[in-house]
Amino acid sequence: MASLRLAWQASKPTTPLRVAQTSEAATMADPRVDIIRRTLYPANVRSRESPTGTWRSNVGRRLQRAIPSVQAHETIERAWLLHQRHIRRGRQAELERKFKCMKEAMDYLYELDPKLHAEANRVEDPRVRTPQEVQLLKTLKGQEKKAIESRIRGLFPRELRIPTETPSRDGWRHEWDPLIAPL
Amino acid sequence: MTAQSRAASRSLATVTDAPVTPKPQVPERIVKKEDGQKVAIHTTILLNRNPILTRTPTAFEKAYYAYQAKIERALHNPLPYDFYFKPGTQLELQFDKEEEERERLAFGKSATPSPRVKTEEELRATDEDNADALAALESQQQEDSVKLLPREHESDRTGDVKSLNRQGQRNVYLLVQAKDEAGKKSWMFPHAPVNTRENLFENVQNHLRSPFGIGMDTWVASKKPIGVHRTSSAAKTKENDAFFFYKAHILAGQVRPDGKNVLDFAWLTKEEIKIRVDQSYWDSVKDMISDF
Repeated sequence: MASLRLAWQASKPTTPLRVAQTSEAATMADPRVDIIRRTLYPANVRSRESPTGTWRSNVGRRLQRAIPSVQAHETIERAWLLHQRHIRRGRQAELERKFKCMKEAMDYLYELDPKLHAEANRVEDPRVRTPQEVQLLKTLKGQEKKAIESRIRGLFPRELRIPTETPSRDGWRHEWDPLIAPL
Repeated sequence: MTAQSRAASRSLATVTDAPVTPKPQVPERIVKKEDGQKVAIHTTILLNRNPILTRTPTAFEKAYYAYQAKIERALHNPLPYDFYFKPGTQLELQFDKEEEERERLAFGKSATPSPRVKTEEELRATDEDNADALAALESQQQEDSVKLLPREHESDRTGDVKSLNRQGQRNVYLLVQAKDEAGKKSWMFPHAPVNTRENLFENVQNHLRSPFGIGMDTWVASKKPIGVHRTSSAAKTKENDAFFFYKAHILAGQVRPDGKNVLDFAWLTKEEIKIRVDQSYWDSVKDMISDF
């Protein structure tokens, strides 16, 4: 009898995982199972912080450690938002200037030569291959054919690199020879 | 073809080879405007190398990011340490060391450290046991670690304007030195006259396939021009010029100056272009170029 009670007490969880478990006992053998269960099903007991929780009892104290004061924090936030606004406005102004240049160019082109203007304005379906392209593709093979097929008219080429924190080991590829002049 | 093979390919004795005539010059496109002034149309290429590197954050941005990281460390939900780190392993030691460093960087040597940071006595006790284990781990990490290159390139220090590795954060544009009609050398963006057989976009593509551009992998962004530069001459008889700008990106390769149209070249940022170029040209061109 005594041994059974001891076994039952030993198997009682040290930290209850669920509100329901604060009164009940669950049988567990291996601490690893306990750990995995605790990670997969975090506690919904509200008096403690947990990996998936949204509440901490000591928020005030920890914030006092982190920020100088409420007023200072709000000033910093406002300074940041102002900084973002300057950047945003600068970017918008630059785009507006560029667009104005484009509009001037197109208007002047229309004045000069309506046919060229119509050619510039023509919307092409990127899926459609021009007759010259089709003819050219018939004559090519292998790498050259791939070079033409991989560049789709109207879409960004794959070789446009995204900026990185540090440059690549080889740097810019200065020696480049065309396989075939792309259309 | 030798004379014999030519003779063999002729079907009749009376057939002769056609004399070789020079290719007819395709005239450049000239349009008459309403007021009677002729305007010659050219295209110009604004060849851009996109930034290779991300921008350096300003001092304010760095301070703000550090501040936000500090708040995150103070308020974040606890990590289930016992799930990820088995007690007494090398990985746990390494993590504790790094965590202590991060805490110290964020908060300084404060009175109330985070739970993971061990007290002095505990550290001393563990250090003696695990000194050699830590040393082994550190040496292995030093072997494995990848050495990152510095953000400033050699060409930034020497000022080599022909290199495409210079000014990695900024947009650089191709500027070319050519002789204009008067014979004066000037720096301009590479331009070409348009002829009657092609539209503006085709002209740009052909220009990029000419000797100076054949060594570059380029991509023209749009069929529409992004800007125009007009020259005007006081005399009514002389032609005016209209240069329509087209935006292109270079993906690989380098310019090959051919000594005739392209004498010299340079890859320059916006301020550097302003210095080298004429004032009227700059006024037309400055709004097309990216600021950074």
